[in-house]
Amino acid sequence: MAKLRVLSSRGDTVVEWDEKKVELGDPDALAAVREAERIFEEQRARGATAFVVTPDKPAQRIDTFDPQAEQVVMVPRVAGG
Amino acid sequence: MTDLAFFLVAALELLFVLLIIGLLCRTPYRVLVQQPAGPLGARQDWRAAQERAEALLQEILTEEEYRQLERRGYLEVRSPSRGHRVYRIPRHQGQVKVYEGGVPVMALCVQSMEPIPDGDAVLMHKLMIEGNEDEYLRIANRFEPTLYGFIALRPRRN
Repeated sequence: MAKLRVLSSRGDTVVEWDEKKVELGDPDALAAVREAERIFEEQRARGATAFVVTPDKPAQRIDTFDPQAEQVVMVPRVAGG
Repeated sequence: MTDLAFFLVAALELLFVLLIIGLLCRTPYRVLVQQPAGPLGARQDWRAAQERAEALLQEILTEEEYRQLERRGYLEVRSPSRGHRVYRIPRHQGQVKVYEGGVPVMALCVQSMEPIPDGDAVLMHKLMIEGNEDEYLRIANRFEPTLYGFIALRPRRN
């Protein structure tokens, strides 16, 4: 299952989808991907930064939504403290 | 009488010096854990958020990284672009210490605009350093190490 996680004051919120079902055109899986993409764009517009997180590899920043990524984590906008 | 006055003044001066040292040794500008203000039940929500964040942190960090965080109170992240640089991310929200060749060179203060739990803050620093280091350094407020802790620096690059 692929995941989009958004860090927030409630902990993280998650949208999940099955990549294999997406390839087969499953309507529920496609809807989940569309929802994840909408959240991704909404958070980016608010100044969030997105990273692809892969086990045992350094995080990689992405600027466009990648439905093939195993896990994307979005960090809220940051500032100097 | 004169001796008594002398000792009294000396004791007061000593107390004053100890007070000044105590104030200087405090971590400056320490970021306190923010809790979102809200109606009744907000504290329970915040606790649930802390637990979620902890579970996510445990899932994303390797066993070794998580153990280090628990034992030492910080997570070390190697700089992807600066050879001997290591960032120490504290277990609880605060300054990230920067070491080069084992020597502290500065402390950085970066925080989320939205209050997030401690576990998510650790993750935020790790992801930003690994995947967006230059931007992280550009945003951060910097503090220089001194004998008495870290003091604020004027903005500079790298």
